[in-house]
Amino acid sequence: MTKRWAALLAVLLLAVGTATACGGDDGGGGTKEGTGTITIFSLWGGSEQEAFQKVLTQFTKDTGIETKYESARDFLPVIRTRLAADNPPMMAIIPRPGFVAELAKDDVLISLEDLGLDAGQINENYSDTWTKLTTIDGTVYGVVAKANSKSTVWYKPNSFQENGFEIPKTWDELLEITKQYKAKGKTPWAAGAQGDDNSWTLTDWFEQIYARQAGPDKYTQLFETGEVPFNDQSVKDAVNEMVKILNDQYVAGGIDTVLGISFVDSIGRVFGKNPKAEMLYEGGFVGGIAIGEVNPSLKPGTDIDFFEFPQINPDQSVDVVGGGDVAAAFVNNEDVSKLMEYLASPEAGEIWVSTGAIASPNESVLESAYPNELVKKEARELKEAKSFLFDGSDLLPGTLGQNFGTLLQNVVKNPGDKDNLLDNYQADAESAGFGS
Amino acid sequence: MSSTAVPGPVGKPRGRRLPAIFRRPGWQGLLFILPAVVLLGALVAYPLVWTIVYSFGDTNSRLDIVSWVGFDNYERLFTRDRVFLNRDSFPPEGALVNNLKWALLYTTISLALGLLIAVLAARVRYESIVKAIIFVPMAIAATAVAIIWKFVYEPDPDIGAANAVLHGAFNLDPIVFIGRADTVNYAIIFAYVWASTGFAMVVLSAALKGIPEEILEAARTDGANEWHIFRRIQFPLLSLPMAVVTVWLTINVIKLFDVIYVLSRGGPGNSSEVIATQMFDELFQNGEGGYAAAIAVVMLLLIIPLMIWNISRFRSERVVT
Repeated sequence: MTKRWAALLAVLLLAVGTATACGGDDGGGGTKEGTGTITIFSLWGGSEQEAFQKVLTQFTKDTGIETKYESARDFLPVIRTRLAADNPPMMAIIPRPGFVAELAKDDVLISLEDLGLDAGQINENYSDTWTKLTTIDGTVYGVVAKANSKSTVWYKPNSFQENGFEIPKTWDELLEITKQYKAKGKTPWAAGAQGDDNSWTLTDWFEQIYARQAGPDKYTQLFETGEVPFNDQSVKDAVNEMVKILNDQYVAGGIDTVLGISFVDSIGRVFGKNPKAEMLYEGGFVGGIAIGEVNPSLKPGTDIDFFEFPQINPDQSVDVVGGGDVAAAFVNNEDVSKLMEYLASPEAGEIWVSTGAIASPNESVLESAYPNELVKKEARELKEAKSFLFDGSDLLPGTLGQNFGTLLQNVVKNPGDKDNLLDNYQADAESAGFGS
Repeated sequence: MSSTAVPGPVGKPRGRRLPAIFRRPGWQGLLFILPAVVLLGALVAYPLVWTIVYSFGDTNSRLDIVSWVGFDNYERLFTRDRVFLNRDSFPPEGALVNNLKWALLYTTISLALGLLIAVLAARVRYESIVKAIIFVPMAIAATAVAIIWKFVYEPDPDIGAANAVLHGAFNLDPIVFIGRADTVNYAIIFAYVWASTGFAMVVLSAALKGIPEEILEAARTDGANEWHIFRRIQFPLLSLPMAVVTVWLTINVIKLFDVIYVLSRGGPGNSSEVIATQMFDELFQNGEGGYAAAIAVVMLLLIIPLMIWNISRFRSERVVT
């Protein structure tokens, strides 16, 4: 008998709990006193998580505030579930700025001003490229915690030397090296773009080419304002260049393999202990993963190095197309405010970059803090870039960013069908209200 | 039962009169099922109703409904969503069509293999060993099944067993089973058949053992050969358990998610997407709560006929399994 009543009571409590949870809201009023512990959420595991943990440890040492880092590779599903349950982490480092804007518009994020921080002063250390990402309708919702150049092509210096290749300055030179590798019986490239969670490697390829061929203005019109449709001739031209490298002839295992393996697998195919290919295009983080996880015996400068993605159209010079992760707050209390301020400081940046895992967008972070030549070079590339474009597919709203990767998977598989595929994607973009 | 039936004088004065419902026979029964009703109400009916309500709305990133859109979500799903149903191509493609492919292939192959093994194994001495081996994959979680087959299908012949066979025995180039739109569905179906055949086999084998030996003996005396015995006696007597297994397998198909999520994530492109994986993507990747709810309602509508069939079977009390 008692058991049954206990069960009934449990159900009633559950029902009441659900009802109150549904009706809850974020209160909104002012910065509250902290609880002494901060939960912070992002998608890094392994070496990337260890690097970030060093920053948090120093923060705890300085302030006495405990931190609890939570991680999920499936970032979006987990954060969405927790938001729906009204139980978000106190802070999160968000990999997709398009998502930051979505959350800010839904009034889920706490602005720097509400946290009691001076947004103007914090932003002095960051260039417009970065502050643009955190500023939504004139309000600043966080800081860009880490940055990446994605204009980095990874190669093996000793292999280049053996074959007498020079660092290519133009796209044609890169294609020439590709051909020569093939002629010598080697596989020039590897890539991994399996499923929904690796298709971003293809969108990165496309963005590098489009930015350098059609130019920064069209790039912005394509990805940000939607003035250039996705079935525009400029998009088709970029796809044509892309499949000059991403085809069955030049990538390890052919396109089927590209669509069947992950990004990390593709690093192993070039820089692993049993390599199958010579070059890999992806962002600055490749170096950290290659040396830190795939093959610790790699020597930077002889076994692994990168060159800048070569220019295509001499009239449309672009230095860097890259990405960044935004630290944002979901709970308004003094602890969170302190951690946000700390993450924006050069001290935190220097600890973080010293691990070799990231480059910092913070201009006050000293170059001497970087541990090796590879990350130093990436940081320099980011800092000295006269023109910087942000990862376009990460800026596309809603489902379009993800579907752009799927589109490119289909395009590299069936380049002949690209007109039809691009028409369909443009129709989807229009029905989602983009660019109209 | 009328109140006049109550005898007049009683020794002790009665307490308060009970409400009418408690004077009917069987009210104790109602009390007994009450906890179950409350639990099911809170955990099944309540979410079910809300899912239907959600499917007519549009949600924000907190999954609160921000506007009502009527049947828009459903219209979009069936007319404008090429991932769900692409009617421009011939034959049509999309998650719905993939589920149909699964329902046809996965169900028939699992059932046929299960039946074959059950019938054949009954004729050998080491039956229990055979059955144990076939049944083992049933004990493996679906995600683990998917990871095992991810290795089997690995394009590198040094790692992937499937390509090692193709390469070693026939000297063929490796096939990237999971990376090709024309092989991915069949590859995953095969993996899941491997995991489900054991169930079909065990159920059918048990039913087979339930057929009285006298019937088979009588048939043999009348001159029937083994094929006739299978075709004319065992097969008809197995029709009900086979129907049960078919329903179970079909329900498996409609709720299919984990093997695909782990093996291909619905790719390459959208070529192996099914209803449940698309619902997951719409809800958790894209934050489209209302649209995902509409997909869930479609799944519910697909499952209802099977449920009705199952319940009517219980009513007829011809439960065999």
